[in-house]
Amino acid sequence: MSVWNPENVVDVAESIGIASLNRDVVEHLARDVEYRMSQVLNEALKFMRHGKRTTLNTQDISQALRLLDVEPLYGYESTRPLRFGEASIGPGQPLFYVEDEEVDFEKLINAPLPKVPREMSFTAHWLAVEGVQPSIPQNPLADPRSAELAAKGSGANSTLAAVSGNDNVSVKPLVKHVLSKELQLYFERICSAILDENNDEYRSAAFASLRTDTGLHQLVPYFVQYVADKVTHSLKNIFYLTQCMQLIAALLDNQSLYIASYIPGVVPSVLTCLIGKHLGNAAHDGAATHFALRDYSASLLSKIARQYGPSSSTLKPRIARSCLKHFLDSHKPFGTHYGAILGLTTIAGVQGVRALILPNLKAYDVHLQEGMKDDGKKEQAEFVVRAIVDALETLKEDSVGAMANGHPEGEALRERLVEVLGEVVGGRVAERGDVGLVGAVLEKDMVV
Amino acid sequence: MAVQPLPPSRTASVGPPSAGGMNAPPAGTPGGQGPNSQQNLNQIIDHPVHRETLATRGDCLDSRQYPQTSTLLCFSHTSRFDHIMAHLIANVNPQVLEYLSKKGYSRTEAMLRKESRHATFDANQEPLDFADRTKGRQWHESYILVKGWIDDILDIYKPELSRLLWPLFVQCFLQTVTDCFTIEAKRFFEECQKPFGEEHSDDLRALSSINEPEHVQENDIAQLYRTNKYRLTLSKMGFATLIEFLEVKEAEGGKGINYLLNNHIDIHTVDRAAIGGARGLQRLMEEKHGEEQAPAEDEGIPGHHPGSANLSADATGALNRLALGPMPMEADLMEDVKAELGHEDITNPPPPGRSTLTDTFEQRIKSEPVEDTAPSREAIPYPPSTARDVAMEVQKVKENRDRFRIEGKTGGVGPGVSVTMFTFHNTFDSVNCIEFSDDNTLAAVGTAESFIRVWSLDNRALTSPHDPPGFQQSSSRRLIGHSGPVYALSFSPSAAVSEAATNGHTDRTTTSESQPRYMLSCSADTTIRLWSLDTWTNLVVYRSHNSPVWDVRFCPHGHYFVSASADRTARLWSTPQIAPLRLLVGHDSDVETIAWHPNGAYVVTGAGVGDRTVRMWSVASGGQVRIFTGHTGNITALACAPDGHIIASADDKGVIVLWDIRTGRLVKRMRGHGAGGVWSLDWSVESTVLVSGGADNSVRVWDVQPNKETKENKVNGETGGVKVDGVTVHGTGAAAAAAAAAAKTAKGKSREQATPDMISDFKTKKSPVYKVKFTQMNLVVAGGTYLP
Repeated sequence: MSVWNPENVVDVAESIGIASLNRDVVEHLARDVEYRMSQVLNEALKFMRHGKRTTLNTQDISQALRLLDVEPLYGYESTRPLRFGEASIGPGQPLFYVEDEEVDFEKLINAPLPKVPREMSFTAHWLAVEGVQPSIPQNPLADPRSAELAAKGSGANSTLAAVSGNDNVSVKPLVKHVLSKELQLYFERICSAILDENNDEYRSAAFASLRTDTGLHQLVPYFVQYVADKVTHSLKNIFYLTQCMQLIAALLDNQSLYIASYIPGVVPSVLTCLIGKHLGNAAHDGAATHFALRDYSASLLSKIARQYGPSSSTLKPRIARSCLKHFLDSHKPFGTHYGAILGLTTIAGVQGVRALILPNLKAYDVHLQEGMKDDGKKEQAEFVVRAIVDALETLKEDSVGAMANGHPEGEALRERLVEVLGEVVGGRVAERGDVGLVGAVLEKDMVV
Repeated sequence: MAVQPLPPSRTASVGPPSAGGMNAPPAGTPGGQGPNSQQNLNQIIDHPVHRETLATRGDCLDSRQYPQTSTLLCFSHTSRFDHIMAHLIANVNPQVLEYLSKKGYSRTEAMLRKESRHATFDANQEPLDFADRTKGRQWHESYILVKGWIDDILDIYKPELSRLLWPLFVQCFLQTVTDCFTIEAKRFFEECQKPFGEEHSDDLRALSSINEPEHVQENDIAQLYRTNKYRLTLSKMGFATLIEFLEVKEAEGGKGINYLLNNHIDIHTVDRAAIGGARGLQRLMEEKHGEEQAPAEDEGIPGHHPGSANLSADATGALNRLALGPMPMEADLMEDVKAELGHEDITNPPPPGRSTLTDTFEQRIKSEPVEDTAPSREAIPYPPSTARDVAMEVQKVKENRDRFRIEGKTGGVGPGVSVTMFTFHNTFDSVNCIEFSDDNTLAAVGTAESFIRVWSLDNRALTSPHDPPGFQQSSSRRLIGHSGPVYALSFSPSAAVSEAATNGHTDRTTTSESQPRYMLSCSADTTIRLWSLDTWTNLVVYRSHNSPVWDVRFCPHGHYFVSASADRTARLWSTPQIAPLRLLVGHDSDVETIAWHPNGAYVVTGAGVGDRTVRMWSVASGGQVRIFTGHTGNITALACAPDGHIIASADDKGVIVLWDIRTGRLVKRMRGHGAGGVWSLDWSVESTVLVSGGADNSVRVWDVQPNKETKENKVNGETGGVKVDGVTVHGTGAAAAAAAAAAKTAKGKSREQATPDMISDFKTKKSPVYKVKFTQMNLVVAGGTYLP
C-alpha cells in the first residue's frame, strides 16, 4: 500500500538487531519513510528551481537534506550516471545496489590527467532588431508552430502575424511551402528576362542578379525545376537551352546559395544539352550551332564535377558512364558522340581519355569513315574528329617522355598511328606532326 | 455494516428542510430496542453538567423560541455537545426514560423520547450513523456527494461553487488521514485529485505523500489549511442553495461538509445582483466559461480584501495610501546636477531637434503626477551625496533624453524592441544566475560551484591595485568565498558614460567613478556577501538568515539592500551594518524573489508553494502594505514599473500578472510562456512595455495597457470602497474572454496560447533566458546559457 516496500523496514530493523517488529509498526514506518522521502524531494525541487534548471540532480538532494538538518549522502555527486548492479538473494528476489568501480591505484596515479573542461565564455548577438528577429546562425529558424500559437482574433497583433509569415501570402495550391509575394514576382521576372531574345541588357541583368543576390535560397528548387521543364520541352530551341545552361551557371556562381543538394536534379538537364540526340533546329539555326551549346554544357559539367565531385562519390562515375555509353553507341548521331567525348575528357581527365577513349578509337574509325564519306554528315564528323584530337592533346600532359625516341619517321609513323587510332584520326594526328602528341598517343601502345 | 437496510425512522429524518428532523411527527415507537448496557448510565445522567445540558436543551427546543434552530445547530456545530448527545441517545433505553419520569424530569423525558428517534440501532445494538456506516469512506462519500451536486447544479452557480471543491477536497483528505484511515485517504486522493492537477499541482505534490496523522501535524501545507480558514466569496443565492442541499443530505454526509465549512472555510456572501447585473453574474459567467481555473483575488488562505494587507477578520476593504512618487532629490545634489547640466549644454550643445539637458531635467522633475505623494527623505536616510552621484544623475538625464522611445502599442502594432543576447557557453548547466551592471560594462554569473565570475563586456582588463607584479590581466575575474551555490547577484547602481559624451572632456574626473563599485551575492550557505569591484575581494559577510538565501537586490539608490530567504523572511540591510535593519515576516513559505519599488521606499516580495502571494512592504515601517493573491504557481520573478504604479509578477507556470499598487487590484493576466518558469522581467523606461525571459528559451515583449473594463474598476477602487467581490473584477476582461474562446478552438493548447497582448516572441537557440534587462536607453539586454 505504500510505495516503499515494508520489507525494507524489516531488513533494516534486523540489521540493527531488532529481530521481530510488529506488522503495524512496520507498515507505519514504511509510510513514514515514504513521507520523508517526498519531503526531501519537495525541498530538492526548490533548489532545482533556484538553480534555474529543469532537471533535478544529486546536488539538489544534498542541499535539501542539509536544509532539513539531515546528514547529506556523500559519494553521489558524480556527474556520470550511476551503475546499478543486480544480485539475487533468492529465487525471484533481485537486489539492486550501486556498483562501485574498482580502481587500480597504480593506474589512477599514472594515468594522464583528464582534459580540462572548456572554459566558460560568452558570445553576443542580436536576438531582435526593432522587433524583428534577424535570420543569423545564432537565432533559431522561424518555427512554423509559432503561426499557430500566435493569438488569433480581433486582438491579435500584426507584427506577430508578419513574423510568422501569415500576412499577404497567397499560397499556391500545389506548393507546400510558402513563398513570399516578392520572391514569386522575382522568379517570374527572372524567367521572362532570360528568355527575352531581343533584350541583351535585360538578360545580363537577370544573370548578374542571380549570380550575386543573397536570399534566393527558397527559389533554387523552383529554378531547377524550371530548367528541367524547359530542357525537356524546348529541345528544338537552341536559344532556350543555352539560356537555361547559363541560368544554372549563374546559380552555381552564387556564393550565398547552397546548391549541393540540388545537383542530382541539375545534372540530367546539363547532360541532355551535352549529349542530346537532336538539339536545336538544323534548318533554322544552322547545322553546327548545337556544338557551341555542347561545348558550353561540357564546361558547365566539368565545373559541377569539380565543385561537387569531392562531396558526392558517385557523381563523376555516373556522368562518365553515361557519356561512355553514348560514345560507344554508333547509332547515335555525331552530335551525341561529340558531346560524349567532350564530357569524358572534362570529367575523367587524362586517365579517362587513355582508358576509355583511346582503346575504342580503332573501332570507332569505321563509323567516322562512313561519316566522312557522306556529304551531309561530313561537317559533323569533322567536329567529332577535332574533339577526339583535342582529347588526345590532353594526353600530352602526363606522357612520360615527350621525345619521339624510337618512333619511326614518315610513313611508318603514320601507319603506326592509323593502327592505333584508326584511319581518320590517325591521319589527322600524323598530319599535325606534333612530336609530343604522337609520343603521348603511342606511349600507351608501348605500355601494351 | 454499510449494507444494512435503512430503518424506517432514518428515512423519516430525510425530508424537506422545513420539516427538519426535529420537528417531524413521531414515527411510532422505535422498533428493536432490546436490552442494552446500562452500567454507566446512572453516572452519566447524574453528572451535573450533563443533566444541565440535557435540561436546557430540552427546554429550549420545547418552547420553540427559535424556529431556525435546526439551521443554527448545523452552523454552530460545537461538536463537543453533539458528541455527548449522540452518545447519550445511542445508549438510551426505556430504563432511562423510566428513571427520568420517576424523578420528575418530564420535559427532559419528552425531549429524549423525541431525540431518540434519530438514533437507530441495528441488530447488534450498534449506532448506525453516517460516519460509522461508512467507516473511513465517510469524507470521501461526503465529498463525492457535494461534487456530484455541484456538477449538476444550474450553470449560474457552477463557477463560484466549483471553487469550493478544492478546499473541501483538501479538508476531506486531511480529515481522513487524521482519522487514521490511510488506505481510504490514498484512494480518495487518487480518485478525486484530477480536476485540481492544473491549478494546484504544487500543493497536490506536497499533500500526496501525507499518510499518517503525524504527517498532517508536520506538513507545512497541511498545517496551512488546517490552521487557517480558506476564504471564499459566494453569492447569497449560491450559498443558500448549498446550505439547503447540505441540510437535506445531512445524514448522507452533508453534516460533515457542513462541519468543514464552519471550521475550515470562511465563506463571504455577496449579492451579485446588487453589484450590478452585467458586471455581477453575467461577467462571472463569461469569464469562467472556458477560462482556465484561477483563484479570485480574495480567495485563499491569507483571506483578505483584495490588495489589502490587513488580515484581521473585521478589516474594512479600504486601503491605505502609499507614497508612490519618486524620492525627492537632495537639495544640494539637485543644485550640483543643474549646474553640471548647464555646463554640459554649453560645451556640448544638443543636436538639432533635441531639447537641452537642463530642459529634460526640469521636465522630468515637474512631469511627475501630482496625486502621488513622495516619500520623505527623513524616513529613509541616505549618506550625503558625492561627486559620483552628480555624475550618475547627469548621465541618467542624458540617457533619458537620447533614449529610444517606446510609446506603447498603437493601432495594434507593437513597438519594435531590440534585444542583444549574451549567450554563455560551456556552462554544463551550472549557472544559477546572470546579472548585468547598470552601465552595461560588466556581466556576472553565479554558479552552482559556489564561485562568482565577472566578465568585462567590452573586453577591458579587470585590474586590481592588489595584483602582484607580472599578474596576467584578463577580462574576467573569479570571486571565491561562498560555500554553497550562488543564487542571486546584484550590482550597486551605476550609470554608463558613453565615449561620445566624454570625448574632449578629459577634465572629467568623475567618469570612471560612475562604474559599479560593489556587488552583492547570496548563496545556499545562508550568507550574503558584499564584493568590491575595485579590488575584487570580499568586503563584508552578512549573516542572519538561517536558511538558503534565494534573492538579494540593491536599492535603486544604493546603500540599502534586501534579501529573501527560505526561512520565510525577507530582511532589509544597509551596507555598513552587519545586522538587518528590518525583518519582513509574513509569508507562509519561502520568499523566492524580491524587487524594489523605484522610489526605494517599498519592497515587493513573492513566495513559493503554499503561499504564492506577492506582498509589498514599507521600508520605513517594515510592515506589509499590500498583498496580492491570484498566482497558481511559484512566483519566480518580480518587477516594479519605473512609474511606480504597476507590479509585474511571473510564476513557474508561465503566467505573468500585473497588479495595480494604488488600488491593490489585478490588472490583467498575460499568458504565453511555456511552463518551467519565467526567470526574469523588466520594464521599459516609459513603463509601457514589459519584457520577460524564461525557461522556454524565449524572450517575450508584452503590452501592458490595461483593458478598458479594468480601468473602470480602477476608478471604483480609488474611491476607497473596494468591492468585496473579487470575482467580478477579475481583470482579464473581454480580451481574456476572446483569448479563452480562441483557446477553445485550439483544443488543449490553452497553456501555450498567447494572450493578445503579447507583442513579440523571440526564440533563442536552446538557451534558457535567465535575465532580461532594459537599459536606460530602452535596449533589451538578455542573458542565457546554451544547453545543447
